[in-house]
Parts: sequence; structure tokens; C-alpha cells
Amino acid sequence: MFGILAKLLMQVRFVAGALALALVIAVAAPASAQQPSSVNPTASAVQERQLLQELNRIQGRVTIPDKKSDVLEQPAGREWRQWHQVTLRWIGAIAILGMLALLVVFYLARGQVKLQSGFSGRKIVRFNGVERFVHWLTATCFLVLAISGLNVTFGKALLLPLIGPSAFSIWSELAKYSHNFLSFPFTIGVILIFLMWIGSNIPNRNDVEWVKRGGGIIGNDHPPAEHFNAGQKMIYWIVVLGGGASAVTGYLLLFPFYGTEISGMQLAQIVHSVVAVLFIAAMLGHIYIGTIGMQGAFEAMGEGTVDVNWAKEHHSLWLEQEKARAGATGATDAQRRATAAGPAE
Amino acid sequence: MLTKRSERQARRGSLAAAIGSQETGGFDRRTFLRRSGLVAGGLAALGALPLASVRKAEAAGPAVAGATIRKNICTHCSVGCTLIAEVSNGVWIGQEPGWDSPINRGSHCAKGAATRELVHGDRRLRYPMKLVNGQWTRISWDVAINEIGYKMMEIRAKSGADSVYHLGSAKFTNEGAFLFRKFAAFWGTNSVDHQARICHSTTVAGVANTWGYGAQTNSYTDIRNSKTILFIGSNAAEAHPVSLQHILEGKESNRANMIVMDPRMTRTAAHATEYVRIRSGTDIPVIWGMLHHIFKNGWEDKQFIEQRVYGMDDIRKEVEKWTPEEVERVTGVPGAQLERVAKMFATQKPSTLIWCMGSTQHTVGTANVRAFCIALLATGNVGGPGRGANIFRGHTNVQGATDLGVDIATLPLYYGLVEGAWRHWSRVWEVDYNYFADRFDKTTAADGKVTSTMNTPGIPSTRWFDATLLDKKEIRQKDNIKAMFVMGHGGNTVTRVPQAQKGVEKLELLVVCDPHPTTWASMAPGRKNGTYLLPIATSYETNGSRTASNRALQWGEQIVKPIFESKDDLEVMYLLAKKLGFADLMFKNIKVENNLPVPEDILREINRGGFSTGYCGQSPERLKSHMANQKDFDMRTQRADAGPNKGDYYGLPWPCWGTPEFKHPGTPLLYNTNLSVKEGGGTFRPRFGLEREETLPDGTKRKVSLLGNGYYSKDSEIKDGYPEFTLGVLKKLGWDKDLTEAEMAVINKINPTTPDVVSWAIDLSGGIQRVAIEHGCTPYGNGKARANAFGLPDPIPVHREPIYTPRPDLVAKYPTLPNAVQFRVPNIGFDVQKAAVDKGIAKQFPLILTSGRLVEYEGGGEETRSNKWLAELQQDMFVEINPADAAERGIKDGGWVWVTGAENNSKAKMKALVTERVGKGVTWSPFHFGGWFEGVDQRANYPKGTDPIVLGESVNSLTTYGFDPVTGMHEPKATLCQVRAA
Amino acid sequence: MARMKFLCDADRCIECNACVTACKNEHEVPWGINRRRVVTINDGKPGERSVSMACMHCTDAPCAAVCPVDCFYTTADAVVLHSKDLCIGCGYCFYACPFGAPQYPKVGNFGSRGKMDKCTFCAGGPEADGSKAEYEKYGANRLAEGKLPLCAEMCSTKSLLAGDGDVIAQIYKERVSRRGYGSGAWGWQTAYREAIAT
Repeated sequence: MFGILAKLLMQVRFVAGALALALVIAVAAPASAQQPSSVNPTASAVQERQLLQELNRIQGRVTIPDKKSDVLEQPAGREWRQWHQVTLRWIGAIAILGMLALLVVFYLARGQVKLQSGFSGRKIVRFNGVERFVHWLTATCFLVLAISGLNVTFGKALLLPLIGPSAFSIWSELAKYSHNFLSFPFTIGVILIFLMWIGSNIPNRNDVEWVKRGGGIIGNDHPPAEHFNAGQKMIYWIVVLGGGASAVTGYLLLFPFYGTEISGMQLAQIVHSVVAVLFIAAMLGHIYIGTIGMQGAFEAMGEGTVDVNWAKEHHSLWLEQEKARAGATGATDAQRRATAAGPAE
Repeated sequence: MLTKRSERQARRGSLAAAIGSQETGGFDRRTFLRRSGLVAGGLAALGALPLASVRKAEAAGPAVAGATIRKNICTHCSVGCTLIAEVSNGVWIGQEPGWDSPINRGSHCAKGAATRELVHGDRRLRYPMKLVNGQWTRISWDVAINEIGYKMMEIRAKSGADSVYHLGSAKFTNEGAFLFRKFAAFWGTNSVDHQARICHSTTVAGVANTWGYGAQTNSYTDIRNSKTILFIGSNAAEAHPVSLQHILEGKESNRANMIVMDPRMTRTAAHATEYVRIRSGTDIPVIWGMLHHIFKNGWEDKQFIEQRVYGMDDIRKEVEKWTPEEVERVTGVPGAQLERVAKMFATQKPSTLIWCMGSTQHTVGTANVRAFCIALLATGNVGGPGRGANIFRGHTNVQGATDLGVDIATLPLYYGLVEGAWRHWSRVWEVDYNYFADRFDKTTAADGKVTSTMNTPGIPSTRWFDATLLDKKEIRQKDNIKAMFVMGHGGNTVTRVPQAQKGVEKLELLVVCDPHPTTWASMAPGRKNGTYLLPIATSYETNGSRTASNRALQWGEQIVKPIFESKDDLEVMYLLAKKLGFADLMFKNIKVENNLPVPEDILREINRGGFSTGYCGQSPERLKSHMANQKDFDMRTQRADAGPNKGDYYGLPWPCWGTPEFKHPGTPLLYNTNLSVKEGGGTFRPRFGLEREETLPDGTKRKVSLLGNGYYSKDSEIKDGYPEFTLGVLKKLGWDKDLTEAEMAVINKINPTTPDVVSWAIDLSGGIQRVAIEHGCTPYGNGKARANAFGLPDPIPVHREPIYTPRPDLVAKYPTLPNAVQFRVPNIGFDVQKAAVDKGIAKQFPLILTSGRLVEYEGGGEETRSNKWLAELQQDMFVEINPADAAERGIKDGGWVWVTGAENNSKAKMKALVTERVGKGVTWSPFHFGGWFEGVDQRANYPKGTDPIVLGESVNSLTTYGFDPVTGMHEPKATLCQVRAA
Repeated sequence: MARMKFLCDADRCIECNACVTACKNEHEVPWGINRRRVVTINDGKPGERSVSMACMHCTDAPCAAVCPVDCFYTTADAVVLHSKDLCIGCGYCFYACPFGAPQYPKVGNFGSRGKMDKCTFCAGGPEADGSKAEYEKYGANRLAEGKLPLCAEMCSTKSLLAGDGDVIAQIYKERVSRRGYGSGAWGWQTAYREAIAT
């Protein structure tokens, strides 16, 4: 892990170098126009080795308007390649496979988190249609983005030998288009998630308690939780911040040379890919707990309602809040609808 | 014609098949490369590798099966690069390096490597057009010729022959140039000019007035032999890139000094061993500053001066005034640096001096050039390998067009305009002298004396619009200029564009014959009628010879037939001559096939009359043989060591004496006394009299000989100076017996009454030349070069500040010359300079503005800006400005700026290039742009589809008044401007 | 077996751009695609040098390593080529290339940059040598015709050298020893992990 960090630091270093260069260029004051009495341009010729030692990058002037072409040499490309081919693969593999392994171990050890008090048959609305639409919009986009993104990093090693270069290229190009186009709905989804749930995701004292008690994952503990428990809040923030970071860096890559130049894009790619693999790993956990990991959880996003007992066990404070509100008005609309729907099933 | 791409694939396909068959025979690609030795093939030409034999074997055969190879000469500068075109089904499909050329050895610059696009013709003029009520309208060639001819005759009848200006081109072949001058002679005007006026007219005048011929004495390849190479006002790396191959290789192998003097740290300066930043327009003080050190330290070549130079003492006197302190005050160059440079130049010989438009385009252009020649003479650096005045000219055939008299002051080959010159060409053309006399306008002076403009120089191209706009009475000819007949010349290349625009609007007739509409078409939005655009074939669509800067002629083959409705220059001249009624006489000895005069016949006519300059020996057959056998010529010596041209110098550099049958090898280095004249040697030419009467300080007079003093060329039977050869001189020497009967008959026919005065220059038999050379003598004589060029306005060059100088404090001491009438028009430079000083122009416009060339473009730039491969590389007009000046003005690199000029309230919008190339207080702009005026895009003025890809402000919108008194050269290299962020 | 390389002798390069237009001419490269370019370092100052740069055909090429679809291949002459049929226009090679060689058609900057284009060392692409398809996608295949890249062949000052690495290194060495100076074989250390001892 330290090795990876060291390499990551190295990547960052050359980006810093590039920034330093820009600064030097900007600051360099014009030499005096006064003619020194000895000027031998041949003897004072710039030396490649010296320039590279100074800045690890050589930049000059070109006549074509394509200003990015004025970078003559940036050996940093080699370092980025090391990052992309070796470091990133390790990070990605460790994060994703590690998470999978963790979940398998957890599942084997803990099994599904059952609803201890059984289903009451009474339902309560947890996510309305809009919320679910936004979630699933983001989630579907995320899945496609994750798969197509992983393809860029791992496809060559894993998939290409299986299906051959032609098919792999066609698939990869499709994957690339999907990745590029689905980034827009994904970003919209992330923004909506941010706006929609920000109110319920501000960490508070309950979360401290929740975390202290390990979220009740081990054993049969059920620490009190509001609409979102601390774990879910964490997911929320991973989605918002991770999604935001990958969106920003992704757009930098999608629109090359708008606002960045090559070292900026290298940095963007590094951030994008690290965030992405960690994001994927986190989402694996989220998917696990939302599906096979916990009895009764999927319904929340699947149908929008949860069993009252489930709510009692996992989001006791939220249920109380809902009840209190229902008490004030007789019954919440949600409860009425849920109760009405219940017997019909 | 536009099926280029598919054709191209056909070639590749056939080749693939060829290689494919080899592959089945057990060859793979690598084996193929290795066995053919071709991997190294290209490399061998890089020198230093023992692979030359491989290269030659490879280059012999055509490169591609199914395509024919045609050789032409690159049209974009005067180096004379051979261009190898692959042609298939009449389409130019590819270009290959011409390894065999002893000049460029396969190399090109951006322009040469992109030149095929020019013949693709995406932006070419496709058919004749005419402006009808402001609309471009397609017309037929017949209609165009008829209407133009009719209008010309109408103007002639009303205003006289001199009212039709003939502006020709440095892109003509020699044959085209000669024919154009002949056309003007038949029309009856000397107002016939071309680009040489605005590039090296002052060189030609200054150099010819020093030692005889106004041309580069040595050659690009000879610079390899130099130990010290001094550039002044030349940015060869951009203007003549392939020359740098020889210069840099010479610099490397001789560890030569390469000194660049320029206001701008150019791409050439980047490779110098010494860069000297000078103020624009102070060339003479810099050179005099050098000579000051040279004379003071006794570094001059005393024997050379004694034997071969007249008037050096007068120079010493002038130079004494230029102490290091005064030089630094005027030029900005520190004394220590100049002393170091002077020492190198004078003591580490051979030294050569290279100059270009940075020095010639001044009111003191001729004097600048004279100073350079004097520096060479003082240090004995003329007339041998590695020495000499290496004048780099700008177009493929600007040397040839100058030689062949597309010039206001001379008939072809510098015969001048005197009666003898007219009679000479009348004999060559077999037309009665009186025919020409009748064609010219006569003017009656106040005293009733009638003079013909036949013998007076015409109006220079820098002044045509003055001759249009000024009051008729101020012009020394019958009437104003009413019509411009332009063949291959841009409209934005002369200073004072705002004035030129007014001139264009006032013209009754404007005819532009060019592959492109050129800036002429766009620069007068007010013009609604009377403009004709005739599509002309490019250089690559014609046959004929071109003279490179080193005086060598090369025969270019037509690569493809003229595209669209384009016609050859020669054909247009023929059609117009026919319409004007003198075609029969003009083409008396020139075969015309299908309206196209045969270029070989024209060259033969040049040969028959070209004795004065040694254009007599280069027959089309010899030139074609040189092109076909380029591989026989050695790059270093330029001499063929084998083959049918064994012993010849490549391209038979003029003077190539005698008739073609005499087989003179050409003269690779002028005035080289180490070779016999027969082998290309020579002496300085005495063309300013045999002796001169001088008045000594005590009032006594003495006569000083202008002939050589105890020097002579190898194998000369006369071991001292001698005058030019005439029949009379031959008789005195008893050499007349060597003339054949046929030769004598011709001489007697030239001057039946006094044949003794018939000279080497007008002897159409070539006999006098032959006999003189057989005796080891130069036909033109053996004289001294002139350090004192008496007869010029400044016989001893003196510094004169530019008209618009940033140093008004120096004007009192170094004023420009008084007003005078020159070339039929007044030159009021003195008044303008005085007014500028009085009005404090230098305060309002504190920055020096100077202009120059970009490697991607050429001249006015319409041709190259229409070439997409070149246009991509320079998409915007710009002004270079020093970071300090930019910072003061809040100008950013790449940002838009307004540049305002000192005259005409001129302003131009362009981009800023903030760079230390220019010093503080100096700005620089390329002169290739056009099609914008005062910030407004004029693209709509071009006929649809013919607008160049890149347009921009012309720097000449900002450049100002000022003319050299000897040639009418303009002054775009030193004026003033102000720049502010837009 | 030849190991093809480029070498730009900056002490000869005068930024004449012949290499750039020769490339355009030979391959009919469209506006906006610059397979080769000339960069001037220290512009306008003493010590200024210009360097012509294109794909250097690196040893162990980074572009090939990072290509997600493995569209690059190296010929027996060590020329790094790619297949436009396989290329998905992702731009990764541009991030990895130390020399800014990969070029993309400007259209479709969003969504796709189009198929990457770069210097082929005048060696075409995977299609049959000299075929129409090869010419349309990659330009001329001069190597197959027994010729070297036109940029180097037309270089005005013989600054740009192309050919077998050992041969051009030898030429450069001799030049440096003859003239006594040399600013380095620009890009060699980065591209080939070797310098020319002079």
C-alpha cells in the first residue's frame, strides 16, 4: 500500500512540476533590450539535457495556432504510462477484488441480515417515485459507466484475449460512446441526489452513536437511525463527492484542452480513475447491503415502501418522526396509502 | 484536372503490385530495403558517409513505375532548387527529392515542399473575369483580349504610350521576361518594371557601379569555402532556407565565423557565432565603423587596393569621422564588438558579405550596397572562392528578369536606353530602329526642344500611383498613368498602400494577369468597371529557363498543362501583340505554335543578342543537357567531372562567353583572376572610362587611370589593365587576324562605315569575344573597382537618417538628400523628413517599424496564402514587439493590437507577437499579408472561390514615403509606428 | 535489421517547416492535423534552437502500452504504427506520449475525437503495402517503396535525419566532433532510453 502511495505521490510531483514551469514562464521578466557586447548564439545554445533537468518538460513557440503543440517534450508521459499500466491496475484490483472478497467473507460469516421481528404486513412509504427514478437513473448510468470504465483499464488484459481484437474494438468503442454520453444523465442524477437528500444527510450526534455501535452489522444490535443512518450517509457523500469528482475530471477528459493541458489531463485521469475504482468498490458494498445483504432492504428502492418492522429495526428514529407527523395529522398520507394497500396484497 | 486523389492512389497501387511480386519471389519488405541499398539511399546525401555511389545508382531511374518524372525549378526564391514532379495522366501526383541537383541536393523549404498544392489550384483563377458594375463576371479569352487591346489603344491615342504601365514579374521565365521587355519596346514605353525594383534594384545599381556587373559575385554553394560569413539585413534562414544548408555545413567544417547584423534576432542569427543588433537604417555607420578599426589597425589588403581599387583614400577620409563613439551613438553597436567583428572580417579570410532587403530597401539603399562592396574591396575579399558579395535574391527568376531588362532604365542585358542600345536590339530583332523611335511619345520642353521618352528611364513601380495621382504637370511625360497592365506582381508589395488604393481607383484600365486575383483585385473597393483578371499558368505549367541568384540558368520543364483556362505568359503576350498589331514584327524570328511562342526560340534570340552579360552561350540544348545530367556536377565546385557537359559549370552561370559553339563553361565566381577567362575567370570591368581627372587640394589637376594596375587573370597575354575590346583594339594588338571571315563580315555589317568601333558587346558574331578570350583576356577589359563611384548622388557613401527616423536629433547632421525630380516624378523626401522632425512625429510614433519575410510565404503572398499546406502555418498577420514595449502598453502575446503609421492616418489591426527577437523600441511585421484594410476584411472583394485562405493587413498600409535617388527603391525597412492593444 | 529512428540536429534546424509541408504533401494530411511540427525553444534569445518533432517511434512505446484496445504494433523496422480500424479515439495515447505526436480530427471533440492519426515514418498501416485503403487511412508507404520519410529527405539543412538508428547516430556524432558543439539528440533519452555520446 505504501508503494502505491509513493507512486501516486510521484504522479502528483510531475503535475506540480508542470505548474511550476507555467509559473516560471509567467514570471520571467523580459531581458533588457540593451545589447551586451558579446553575443554568441551558437555557444549559448540551449541543451536538451539541461532543460529537462530543470523542468522535466520542454516548451517553446510554434507557428500553428494549436498552442498545445508548443510542448516539445514531456517525458512525464512515461510516468503516466507507469501509473496507468501498473499502479492503477493494482489499486483497482485491490479495491474491487478486495471489496468483493470482503463481502463474500462477510456473507459467509454473517449471512443475510434478517428482519428480526418478521414482516408486519404494514408498509410505510420510504422513497417516492421521483426519488426512486433519480436513484435508478443514476444507478443504471453508474453501472454502464463502471463497466465501460473498467473495460478501458482491464479489458485489454481480460476481455481482448477472449473475444479477439476486432470484436473487442467494436465493444470498446460502444463502451466509450456509452461512457461519454451516459456521463450526462449520471451527472444530472448525482446533482439531483445531492439536492434531494442533502437535508437528511447532514451528519449528527445519532450518527456518532450509530458508528460507535458499528451500525449493528455484527450481532443483532439495532442502533437508532433517522431516515438515513450513518452508513447510508456515507454512501450519499461518496456518491455526491465521488460522483462529482469523477464528473468534473471526466468532463476535463471529454473536452480535451478546454481549461487543461496535457499534464492537467494526466492528473484528471489519475483522479478520475482512482475515484472511480474506489467508487465502484463502495458501490459494491451498497449493492450488497441493498440486495442480498439485508432482508427487506431492496423494497425501499424497489417499490418505494418498507415494512414498518423493518423501519423500526433499521430506522427507528425516522419511524418515530413519521409517526409523530402522522399523529399530528391523524395519519400520514403515506401510512394511509400503505395501510390501504396492505390488505389487498 | 482535379482528380488528383484517385490518381495518386493509382500510382501507389501499381507500386504495391510491383513490390508484391517481389515479395512472392522471397522478398520481404526489409530484405527489399536492404538489398536495394535504399535504406541508406536518402542518408547518403547527408554527407560524411561513404555511400555516395549507392545514392547515385538509386537516383538514376524514375522513382515510380507508371509515372513520368519532370524537373522544374522551385518558384519561391532564388536558390534554384530542383523540383522533381511525378506526373501520371497529366496530373501531378507526387514530389520527390531531387538528389542530383548540385544546388539543393533534394532539400526544400516549407514552400518548395508544399508547392504541388499550387497546381491543384483550389484557389486559382479559373477563367478570365471582368468587373461589371462592381460584379465579377466571367468572359472568354477572345473578349478579354479584344476589350483590353481596344482600351489600351484608346488610352494610347488619348494620353500616349507612356500612360500604360507595364508591370512584369520575377516569376517570368527568362523567355517571358525578355518577351515582356520586348513587348514594352514595341508598345513604346520604358515604364516597364518588376519586383527587382523593390528588392534589389539598389544592389544592382550599387554593385554594378562598383565593379561592373550588378549580381551575386559568388554562389550559395561557394559559401562553404568561407572562413568568415557576414550577414547584414539578411534573414536567409527564412528567406533562402536551402542556402543555409551550405552556409551551416561551411560554418561547421571550416569552424567559420558567422556574424549576423540585424535589428532583429532572426532565425539566422540564432545560428550565428556573433550577433550584432543594429538600429534600422544605420548600415553605413556600422560598416564605416568596421572600416575605421580596419584602417586604424592596418588590417586592409594593401596590395589588392593598390592593384584593383580606385578611390580608397576618399573612403579613408569619410571613415575617419566614424569613431567608435559616434558609431555607437548612431547605431547602438558597442565599439568593442564592432572591433572584434572587423578583425574577424579582415583577417580571417576568405570572408564573404551577404545582404538582402534589410539593407537595400532604404533611401540610402544604393549607398548601403556601395559601402558593403567597399568593405569587401578594402579587405581584398572579392574575386575568389569563399569571398565576394553574396547577394541573395528573392524570386526564382528575379536575377533573370533583371538581366533581361524588365526594368525602367535598360533594354535587355544592361545595354541601357541610349541609341546604340536600341540599334543593337533592332539588329538582333531584325526590326528597323525607326520603328521603335516612332512608337515612343515625344515631349516638347519649354525651349521647344523635342525629346523622345525612348531614351529616358520610365517610372519605377514604387511610384506608379504618384504618376496617377499627381497633377499632370508634375510628371515629366505626356500624361498621367491611366492603365496598369500587371503580369505576376502583387499590389501590396510597395509602401504607402492607402495612396496606391487611390491610384487604383483612378485608373481607367487595370489588367491583372496572374494565377491568382492578387491584392489588386481586392484593394480598390471603389472600383466598379475596367478591371480584368486573366488566369495565368504558374511557373510549373511552363517551359523555359530561370536564372538563380548565382547567375546559373536552369531549364524547367512543364510539369502539367496549364490548368482550367489558364494560359502561358508567352501566349497572352502573343495574343495581345496580335491584337495591337505588332505580333508579326515582334515574333519575326520566334516560332509560334498554336498561339504559344516557342521558348527555345526566344532563348536563342537572347543568346544572339546577349553578349554584354554573357547570356550568349547558354543555348536551350546546353541547359537541357545540364538538367538531364545533374548527377555529373559536383556540389562543391559546381563543375561536371564527367558526361556530356564535362568541364561546364552547372547552369552556365553568366557570363558564359561567345556563341554556344564556343563552349564557354560559364563563370561560377565573378572577377576570379585565378582562372583563365576561358575557364570562368575574369577581372573587374572598366565601364566608367579609362581615366579620371582629379582635382588635388592645391587646385592642380591630374589624370588617374581606371584600368587594372599590374593585375590580370590567369593566362592573360596582357599583363596589366586594358580597356574593353573593339575591332580597333584587336587591330592594335594584331589579333584581328584571328577573326574568321564570317565574323568579320558580321562586324562590317554592324557598322559598315567605322567597323573599328564595334565592340565585344554588340558584335553579333561573338568573334571579338572569342579572340580576346583565346588570348586570355576578358572581353570587357581589365579595370579597377570603384571605391569612389563618381556620378552617383553620393559617390562616397554617407550616412543619411531614414525619412521617418526615431532619432530626429541626428537629422541635422545626417539629413536625407535634397528634393529632386527622379524618374519623371518629384522626390520630396527632404521636405517630408523635415516636416516629420518639425511635427515631432517620432514622439507620436515612438517605435521603429521594419518588415521582413516569413519562411512560409513569399512576396505579396497571394500565391502562398492560397496554399492550404502553407496557410495553416501562418494564419494571422502579426507584429513583433519587445516584451518591455508590450508591457508598457498592456499588450499580450497573441492579443489583437492596432498599429498606426506616420502617414495617411494609417492604421492596421493585427495580432501581437511579444518576443525578444526585436529589441526595445522596435517592431517588425511580415510583408506577405493583404486583403484586410484598416481592420476590415476585404474577402468579399475577391471573385468567389479565389480568395486566399489567409488574409490580413498589409504592413505596407503603414509604411511611408522615401525613395532611393538612384533606383526609386522604397523604404519599408525603417519607418515609425505606434502600437496599442485593440 | 534496421532500427528506424528520427534525429533532429537542432544546431542545423532553422524552423523552415519543410518537414511539416513535405509531410502534408506526401500524405495529403488535412488542415488541423500536424503529424510533424517545429518547436522553437528560447525564441528570440541567444541560445534559441528549433527542433522538428513528430512521433519518435519509441522503444517500448508508451502509446502502445496505454492503448486500451491494443491498436498499436511495431514493425520489424521498429516503426510504431497503429490500426485506425481498432482505434476508438479515446485519447489515452496522447496522455502518454512524451512528444505530443497523436493527432485527432478536430470535429467530434465531444463524444469522440475520431480516429487517432500520427506520423507513420512513411510506413503506412496494417493494410496491404501501397493499397488504396492504406493511402486513404495512413498516407503513402515510402518505406515499402524503398524510400525514407519525406520530411527528412526534404529537410533544407539536412538537420532532420531519418533512418537506421546506428547510422544516423554516427552521422550526428561526426558532425558534433567536426564542428565542436551539439545541443543533443533531442528526445532520444526519452524515446529510446539512450543518448548519443559525443
